[in-house]
Amino acid sequence: MVLGLFEQSEADKRAAEVRAGTVAPTRSERQKCWMARDGYFACLDRNNIIDALKDEKAAAKACKAESAEFEKDCAAQWVTYFKKWRVQDIQKKARLKELEAQGAVRMDVNTDFKARE
Amino acid sequence: MNMSHAIAPMRTFSSVLSRTPARQCQRFISTATTTRPTVPRLQAQLHQPVAQRRTYKTVEEAKSKYRSGPFSWKAGLLFVLTGAGLLWYFEHEKQRMQRKRIADATKGVGRPKVGGPFELIDQNGKPVTEKDLKGRYSLVYFGFSHCPDICPEELDKMAAMFEKVEAERPGALKPVFVTCDPARDTPQVLKEYLAEFHPLFIGLTGTYDQIKAMCKAYRVYFSTPSKVEPGQDYLVDHSIYFYLMDPEGDFVEALGRQHSPDQAAKVILDHMKDWQGKWKKD
Repeated sequence: MVLGLFEQSEADKRAAEVRAGTVAPTRSERQKCWMARDGYFACLDRNNIIDALKDEKAAAKACKAESAEFEKDCAAQWVTYFKKWRVQDIQKKARLKELEAQGAVRMDVNTDFKARE
Repeated sequence: MNMSHAIAPMRTFSSVLSRTPARQCQRFISTATTTRPTVPRLQAQLHQPVAQRRTYKTVEEAKSKYRSGPFSWKAGLLFVLTGAGLLWYFEHEKQRMQRKRIADATKGVGRPKVGGPFELIDQNGKPVTEKDLKGRYSLVYFGFSHCPDICPEELDKMAAMFEKVEAERPGALKPVFVTCDPARDTPQVLKEYLAEFHPLFIGLTGTYDQIKAMCKAYRVYFSTPSKVEPGQDYLVDHSIYFYLMDPEGDFVEALGRQHSPDQAAKVILDHMKDWQGKWKKD
């Protein structure tokens, strides 16, 4: 019982450190964070919310549980980063779709300066 | 087709002409104009079929030449084989020259354009300089342990390509991770972080100024704040290329996100095949 409590508090301490960014997350902690992120984004998708930073109130109302999970498992900096990344990613995909609708041909672009065989 | 049709009547016409009494009359009339009668004869010669000029000793010889022509199956086979051989050789040479061009284009005349001397410490606290990387190819990647998504993915990819190269040429490549975040990535942090990707990864860190010099030498852009408050969390924006360096420490090629581990490993192995210089042996 005492040991269990001790372990629990150790895990909590570690999670708090990950959230604050004082320790670098391990592989499993990263996986956990990415899963929470995907869950949160799926909820935003269902509620047609693109920018969770701009539509903060709507996002908090619609995805309360998912948001709590996301913020619990990820560093605060990562939460902001992923929310911004989502907006850019959606915009990028929309732009690609728009271009393809206009008849643009998708290219496997190599941004190297030199030619590759 | 049309020509021969046109020529045929012409010939008959000229031969008819030569037999006409008019020509004979001409001779009688004027002996001074000797050039004139030769003209129809020349024309007739020109129109003779070419084949008629060839001579064969026997009828069999003539027949056999017609049957096989100038091509025999031996000649055909030789032609195809030589052609295929040359094609393969030229393609092989072309690819080699292209790689050489890439490697040479990035090899600085005096000072290397990318890379150069550095003084950092590895994840065990041991000093490492550019001299320690010589004698082998090295794959240099810049990142930081608090990286949210790209670096971990790229490091997994780096481990995959390293494994592939290692399988074919053990000990020929050193995988190097340089942190852009020296304030938080101490040797101990790097040790724990990199162990999850590959046990042979070398993690380099140092003071802010050392890292700044290293990033500048490798033309790496990074945005780590120089002064960090204790406990402050931040992300680092940085370039995400793998830098392939040759055994002399000169930059060879940058591998990007567009390369799969297989493609990247092939590029590295091909460059190794071309290397004429020295290799370090353990």
